[in-house]
Amino acid sequence: MKTTGRTNLLIGLIFVALGCVAAFVWIPLDTQTGLIEKVRGRQIIGDALAPTIASGFLLLGGLLLVLTERNAPNQPTLTRQHLSFITRILAVIIIGVLVMRYTGPALSHIANVFRDDLIAYRLLRATLGWRHVGFVLGGILIVAGLIATVEGRLTRRAILTALAAVLLIIAVFDIPFEDLLLPPNGDV
Amino acid sequence: MNALDYIWLGILAVFQGPEAFSILGLSVSITLIMVLCGFLLGIAVGATPGLAGPVAMAISLPILISVFGYTPDALLPVLGFLVGIMKGATVGGAVPAILFNTPGTPDAYMTTLDGYPMTQRGQAKKALRVAHLSSASGDTFSDLVLFICAPFLAIIVESYLDLPEKTALLILSLSFIAAVIGGSAGKGLISIGLGLLAVYIGTGEDFYPRLSFGTGELARGFPITTAVLGVLIIGAIFKELEETWRKNQTDTQPAQVAQDGGTQRLSWLEVKSLFPYITRSALIGTAIGALPGIGSTLAATLGYTIGQRRHRRRKTPDQPDFGNGAPEGIAATEAANSSVSGANLIPVLSLGIPGNAAAVFLILAADSIGGLNPGPSVFRFSADSVNSELVIVFGLFTCMTVANLLNWTIGGVFMRSMGFMTRIPKQLLLPSVLLLTLTAIYVQETRIEAIWFALGFGVLGYFMRVLGISPLPFVVAFILGRPLEETARQAFSATGNDPWFLFNNPIALIFILLSIAVIVLSARKSKGKSP
Repeated sequence: MKTTGRTNLLIGLIFVALGCVAAFVWIPLDTQTGLIEKVRGRQIIGDALAPTIASGFLLLGGLLLVLTERNAPNQPTLTRQHLSFITRILAVIIIGVLVMRYTGPALSHIANVFRDDLIAYRLLRATLGWRHVGFVLGGILIVAGLIATVEGRLTRRAILTALAAVLLIIAVFDIPFEDLLLPPNGDV
Repeated sequence: MNALDYIWLGILAVFQGPEAFSILGLSVSITLIMVLCGFLLGIAVGATPGLAGPVAMAISLPILISVFGYTPDALLPVLGFLVGIMKGATVGGAVPAILFNTPGTPDAYMTTLDGYPMTQRGQAKKALRVAHLSSASGDTFSDLVLFICAPFLAIIVESYLDLPEKTALLILSLSFIAAVIGGSAGKGLISIGLGLLAVYIGTGEDFYPRLSFGTGELARGFPITTAVLGVLIIGAIFKELEETWRKNQTDTQPAQVAQDGGTQRLSWLEVKSLFPYITRSALIGTAIGALPGIGSTLAATLGYTIGQRRHRRRKTPDQPDFGNGAPEGIAATEAANSSVSGANLIPVLSLGIPGNAAAVFLILAADSIGGLNPGPSVFRFSADSVNSELVIVFGLFTCMTVANLLNWTIGGVFMRSMGFMTRIPKQLLLPSVLLLTLTAIYVQETRIEAIWFALGFGVLGYFMRVLGISPLPFVVAFILGRPLEETARQAFSATGNDPWFLFNNPIALIFILLSIAVIVLSARKSKGKSP
């Protein structure tokens, strides 16, 4: 989907603005040392210089788009379809990662309701099953959800593919290596 | 120790390294096995539409590091595996292009023009044989140029360039990459600017981590794996998924494979007639590959166009034209795009500047394991003590030679058996690869923020692709950003705090003027076009 349009002009203006904001607002406010600093009577390059040069690249790139490439033919366009698609797949992935992150600890809380000796997920994560529950559920959700998004419907093939992918990843990363931690076991 | 001693030590490091197993008392080193495994995996990955060498390299890296650890002995097996993938994927990329009219990678598009018509005429295996012969020839030639040129270039750089010149050279590299990738200097500069800005977050010499908004999450900066894998791999997966989604909506019919007919072998006469096309394209691809940032797609296009001109003049009336199933068309394309890969390591090894995505992962591996800092200092032929980095580099050259031998011997047979990989639906494969990539990032960083960062960079990579902004300058800038700042700090200090150190030195000044010239010329050229 390529048409002659104003995409280059818009990208250029956005990055000219971003470059200016970075160089004149963000970098001065969010670095402790300036472009050149004097430390113990000696001049050194400060922490602000390199990011300022980076924002200079943004500014220059934006200016080139505005001044020399704004009328270029066959400019790519960002359509509503692009935004709709990326929003959908991001929603699927974010939900999947959240399920991956919180399923194990949540299940351990529920299990504690029925136990006298309370046990934290951190201690359970070395146990087979417990350490995989979040990854399996979240992983299946991500893979099957993405397949369903692309195909427009959820099929048994999508769920079986997701299950196979998750089991394969566990076989590759978890079973042979004791020191590798599947998500979310490094955080909890 | 002289140069020959170093070469010999490199060869020994590969063949007499840690043992994998022994056959009849003959020890087989783990490095050789890793080169073989990487090569076969590379062909399979290259033959699978939607996957490419860098994806396999990205996913393999954390697994390899877990297996081999962070010891000096790990470098050659890991680099050997990655080099194997790189070479295998180069050969395998022709399979879907020839059998299903589906270029697995952009540089294989030209292969479809003649490869698929040959398949339709029942000459699929012959087309694959032409592709393999041309690809292996181009790749081998390119490697030979690398082995000869990289040490000389590094020695020249190390002898003549001091800190100000090295700073200017890094600026020139970034400008060059911005100017040539993607055909838009403006977009290239934006990609470079974003990469530099991203790498400077949470770093610096002051106690306060700069540009971190005072947050703990950003104070540690973005891990290199999240930025590189996010923009290069996850962004590409998002874009591929979107294209598959669009195709599913238009409901296209899958391509059919015709039955093979007639002889599928290449006669000596046919090989001889292909040779001039292979030679020209190998030279073009190698020259292009030696310049950082210029991809194999341009090499393939140039090789094809020049081959087409020759074919028009010399073909007999019964020979098909380019675009109608001419084996010479496949030869011209495959030799050109394959000869980019070896030459692309010239700037990596001699200057420390990655020129393509595969080179990025080799640098990432060396950086993660330690013991090898690609750059001009690697090629220091110290006589009194052993330069272990140089031994590793000659070991890497040996691995590449072994991979080439594998390519010439078993590569063709394995490649021709990989046709079934093209039948795996992208919509099933890509989400699984995405989960695998996210898991690979997590096991390296062991914190959930790494996944969020990678997804954020993935979205950035997706939008960059949609808007025609190449993500490669971003990645190169992310890798070179820290060395650039460090070299500039040292140069400033070494020149007695001279703020004009880039302009007071003639060589540095030439590099800076070249940086400006390359941007200005590219901007004037791209005034009338856009990617």
